[in-house]
Amino acid sequence: MSAIIEARGITKRFGGVVAVDAVDLAVEKGQILGLIGPNGSGKSTMVNLVTGEMMADEGSLSFNGADIARMALHRRARAGMARSFQMLRLFQSLSVEENLVLANHMRMKTSVVDSFFGRADSRAEDARARVKARELLAWFDLQEFADRPVTAMSIGQQRMVEIARGLMSEPTLLVLDEPAAGLSPPNVDKLIALIRRLRDEFGISILLVEHVMRVVRDLCDRVVVLDSGKKIAEGAPDVVVKDPVVVEAYIGSGWKRRAQA
Amino acid sequence: MKPYLTGLGIALALAFAPFFLGGYETNVLMMMLFFIILAVGLDLVAGYCGQFSFATGAFYGLGAYTAAILNRDMGSPIWLNLPAGALVAGLFGLLLGIPALRLKGHFLAIVTIAFQTIVYLTISQWTSFTGGQVGLSLANPAPLNLGFVTIEMGSLRSYYWLTLAVSVICLLVAWRLAHSRIGSEWIAIRDDETLAAAVGIDTTRGKLSAFVASAALAGVAGVLTAHALRGVTPDDYTIWISATVVAMMVLGGRGTFIGPILGAVFLVLVPELLGKFAEYKMLIYGVLLVLAITLMPEGVIGRLRKRAAR
Amino acid sequence: MDLFLQYVANGVVTGSTYVLVAVGLTLIFGILGVVNFAHGEFYMIGGYVGILAITVLKLPVFAAIAVVLLAAAVIGLLAEAILHKPLKSHDATNSIISSFGLAVALQNAALVVMGPQPQRLNLDVSKIPILASIPTDFGPVFLPQQRTLIPLTMVILIGVLYVILKYTWTGRSLRAMAQHPTVARLCGVRIQSVAVVTFMVGAGLAGIAGMLMSSIFFVYPVVGNMIALKAFTVVILGGMGNVAGAAVAGLLLGITESLTSAYLANGMRDIVGFVIVILMLLFRPQGLFGKVAERS
Repeated sequence: MSAIIEARGITKRFGGVVAVDAVDLAVEKGQILGLIGPNGSGKSTMVNLVTGEMMADEGSLSFNGADIARMALHRRARAGMARSFQMLRLFQSLSVEENLVLANHMRMKTSVVDSFFGRADSRAEDARARVKARELLAWFDLQEFADRPVTAMSIGQQRMVEIARGLMSEPTLLVLDEPAAGLSPPNVDKLIALIRRLRDEFGISILLVEHVMRVVRDLCDRVVVLDSGKKIAEGAPDVVVKDPVVVEAYIGSGWKRRAQA
Repeated sequence: MKPYLTGLGIALALAFAPFFLGGYETNVLMMMLFFIILAVGLDLVAGYCGQFSFATGAFYGLGAYTAAILNRDMGSPIWLNLPAGALVAGLFGLLLGIPALRLKGHFLAIVTIAFQTIVYLTISQWTSFTGGQVGLSLANPAPLNLGFVTIEMGSLRSYYWLTLAVSVICLLVAWRLAHSRIGSEWIAIRDDETLAAAVGIDTTRGKLSAFVASAALAGVAGVLTAHALRGVTPDDYTIWISATVVAMMVLGGRGTFIGPILGAVFLVLVPELLGKFAEYKMLIYGVLLVLAITLMPEGVIGRLRKRAAR
Repeated sequence: MDLFLQYVANGVVTGSTYVLVAVGLTLIFGILGVVNFAHGEFYMIGGYVGILAITVLKLPVFAAIAVVLLAAAVIGLLAEAILHKPLKSHDATNSIISSFGLAVALQNAALVVMGPQPQRLNLDVSKIPILASIPTDFGPVFLPQQRTLIPLTMVILIGVLYVILKYTWTGRSLRAMAQHPTVARLCGVRIQSVAVVTFMVGAGLAGIAGMLMSSIFFVYPVVGNMIALKAFTVVILGGMGNVAGAAVAGLLLGITESLTSAYLANGMRDIVGFVIVILMLLFRPQGLFGKVAERS
């Protein structure tokens, strides 16, 4: 099996604090890799380093075999990476459909100049992107929202739009940052089914950061556990959650939190 | 098709206006067209792309001085000065866009203010090149010889028509920019720059193109103004012009295209309508500006759209 | 060398006015987030009120200063009511436009009341008891008393302000606001009164600067324009909301301008500060004295 993305010795410091300390991880083709750990363990930083929102201080990063360690955010997206955000992020002043179409711009063959002059092939390409956006929305059962502003949707629906936006860009790797946060239990079930379909129907590899253990156990092929910026365990979900080091990290930090309160 | 037809209709109506208006009113209309170009141009970079700029007056001045200096040194006609003014202003727009790649909000605003002031001080102090505080004067526009007919360009009417035609082209360009793919990328950058990059939008290209387009349009307005006034002086291109154009855009409603046009019409008209209170007119103008922004912070069009959405 | 020191001394005098104007601006900008285009008008009003108080009302100098401070407090109150109170829930651009409108209104009100003719305060400092004892010769440097008065006043006022900011409840509230407005509010800081005080202090300092300068340079309705723009560069150079930074940067700008005009070209004098501010924002966005921080 070959890795879609492979990180080696990734390190990130903020002032004197080492937020991510020499972490290795790899997402294999067609697999779902879980990234878990207690609050403040460096998961979000690690995700931002992978997607290019931040640049690592040290370490190597290869994506589909190419070195991307110094590659800018938008170039990584063009290379086939898409993500959702822990804090929902959509373009607030645009409609749902426009949000999706924007994520498809980078895949278009005609240029912005063609679009400026309203050339027929460019207009046809825009129309195809809109059709594609509506098909994806239908797949998520959200087609009636296409023309409405994103602010008209619930949190859960906006999370789905974020995932649909990711699919619009035809990614090979989808990074989901706590997609279950703020969802009700029945919606979590739906999300689990949906992510599984994403992998099976679209053949996308997924890096999943999650707090909700049920999601991790049900979906992930493998799990990487971070604590205080270091990788403390890696393996199958059922094995990892019983690992005493992992239990210690979770319960220990929970204990500390309670002691402080 | 509808917005194009509406625009064409208004342009045609404006083309007939000089037959019914006196010289003074025609001049006011022309002034309005200059400021419409400026306000719509600013709307591209500040309203659509969210990059606040207080340098419109500088680009306006760069266009005007390009025309005046080319005219002085090479006797070049307005047909050549228009693209030259757009080019020079556009290049400086690119220059100002570079800090915008790194700075946001207040800091970007201050850089644009500093840039505006540097341009103003340069044109007012480099006397040997720009004429200093006195400025420069321009020759009358040469008649346009089309072979079979010669059109006299020196008259107010023919110059008004030229201004109208150029304005229509400018607005068409601005409309296409705002409503084609690059325009939606600008909006994306304004809403959330990191997210824009995360969905593959080249934010560097987006921001720079907005600065260049906005500056080039201001440059065109500058060339038109220089030839209309038959001269340039530094005090016509100060930060107060920039602030006035910002006020036009915000009062009309930023990022709405039509809003800045209404704002420009309104703020050009107000001092003219206050003509009989000559002594107090700028005082009243200032007070009105404060009142307008306090009562309608999202602008006229912004307010209407909000109401429609409810 | 002697000439060089004289240029530096001249720079310190103009620099002191920049400090007085910029310190108020940095507080308003740094604490309340208001880009106040009308700040130069506080300076202009200080100049005119000083001239009126001394030449028309025939008040003694110290009473005139009190009148200037009173006028500045009223203008500060008015400015806060216009620029901050109704607009604080909207984004900064609205207060920028509002302050632009206020500046236009104040300039033209001054034009109507005082006329376009530049005016100057004819004040012979050597006849005023306390001030007459200020020396005029400092080694090779010569400064008339009304010039020396400016850095002197600046040092006293900024010193007092510094103590207030450091040791009083109001001062601590101001600094808390600058650091984190939400947290400050949760801790019981009353934003409204802090804002009013900030505007009054800013207007007062600029007004005093305007009055002091009116005995050296002419006052006219738009005299505040360039001063305000330069004060903005000082604010950025010193770091937003940083009083000590603004004091140092203001003096440095005054000296740099004086030396530029003496050794490079007089025409470059006004430009130099703006060029420096652009370069600095590009290469050292945290300000000359600031620590690295997120700037947005």
